[in-house]
Amino acid sequence: MTDLRLDATQLDRYSRHVIMDEVGPEGQKRLLEGSVLVVGAGGLGSPAIQYLAAAGVGRIGIVDDDVVERSNLQRQIVHGDGDVGRPKVDSAADYVAALNPDVDVETNELRLTADNVGNLVADYDVVLDASDNFATRYLLNDHCVLTETPLSHGAIYRFEGQVTTFTNERTGEDDPPCYRCIFPEAPEPGTVPDCATTGVLGVLPGTVGCIQATEVVKYLLGKGDPLEGRLLMYDAMDMSFEEVPVRPNPDCPVCGDDPEIESVSDVAYEGTCEISAD
Amino acid sequence: MRVTVDVKGETTHEIDLEELGTAGGSDGRAEPTYADLLGAVDLSPHEVSVLVDGRPVPEDQPVDSDEVTVLRLIKGGSA
Repeated sequence: MTDLRLDATQLDRYSRHVIMDEVGPEGQKRLLEGSVLVVGAGGLGSPAIQYLAAAGVGRIGIVDDDVVERSNLQRQIVHGDGDVGRPKVDSAADYVAALNPDVDVETNELRLTADNVGNLVADYDVVLDASDNFATRYLLNDHCVLTETPLSHGAIYRFEGQVTTFTNERTGEDDPPCYRCIFPEAPEPGTVPDCATTGVLGVLPGTVGCIQATEVVKYLLGKGDPLEGRLLMYDAMDMSFEEVPVRPNPDCPVCGDDPEIESVSDVAYEGTCEISAD
Repeated sequence: MRVTVDVKGETTHEIDLEELGTAGGSDGRAEPTYADLLGAVDLSPHEVSVLVDGRPVPEDQPVDSDEVTVLRLIKGGSA
């Protein structure tokens, strides 16, 4: 960071950040020089993208291969009625452009695969998982563990949310858990329902996506305590939060003592996302 | 042994392992597994992870803790 100066417009735009000791002009500069890859521009991705852009995170990559449908609009608040039929990455990019010209958006209208995850994640400081399927979740986890890339995890179901942060900072002592430490393998396809079949409270992804954005902003600022080693459970019906302690699993196939996964090419990211037999 | 099964986001159950004995052992009863415990609370091992002291335990392992946490696998990001 060589130049801590913010221009007059930025000082005005980010004044409520700059005035705080925990952020200040240096912290705001960190955000402006920071980058995040958001995987999924749907329910979780929408509020996350909004707040990251508003905060002035300077470069936001968005990955999504879907187009906007009218049934998305009850919760995916970066998209509007006029966006129906458009790629979600384009709609989200337009939203950010209108909100904050300081932010560069890089759109990737594709599905994350073991072949492209390396190139997509490589240039970003942190990854925010707002995906809607287990294949992407396990692929992102494994890649981020192997490359020691911080990963914000969020997931939602009907009225419930789960959110946690995997910093993936490994020194060999008191290493943090990863997603596979909690959920070693994905369930058999079709055994876990999704929002399309069970429904989801429209505001639920807003709450969870905002927590994910909070974690990313804290990480970029280098402030606060990450939601690490703790799975935060949110129940919108009870309006209750509960932390479930989670520990690194020595038998974890990707970050354990004797990991079986040394590359994402070792895993078939379909079905239960287990290690390939060959 | 009574086991407290805390299904996060749902209900906490008290399960008596003596009532869960499963057929198959030499005496016709085998030690109940974590899968049996899940079955007693109408959950499938496919849809949850069972944690003991913050770490997952294999579903086919005999229950050796009187307190387990059950986390539901959630895939949704609300596409």
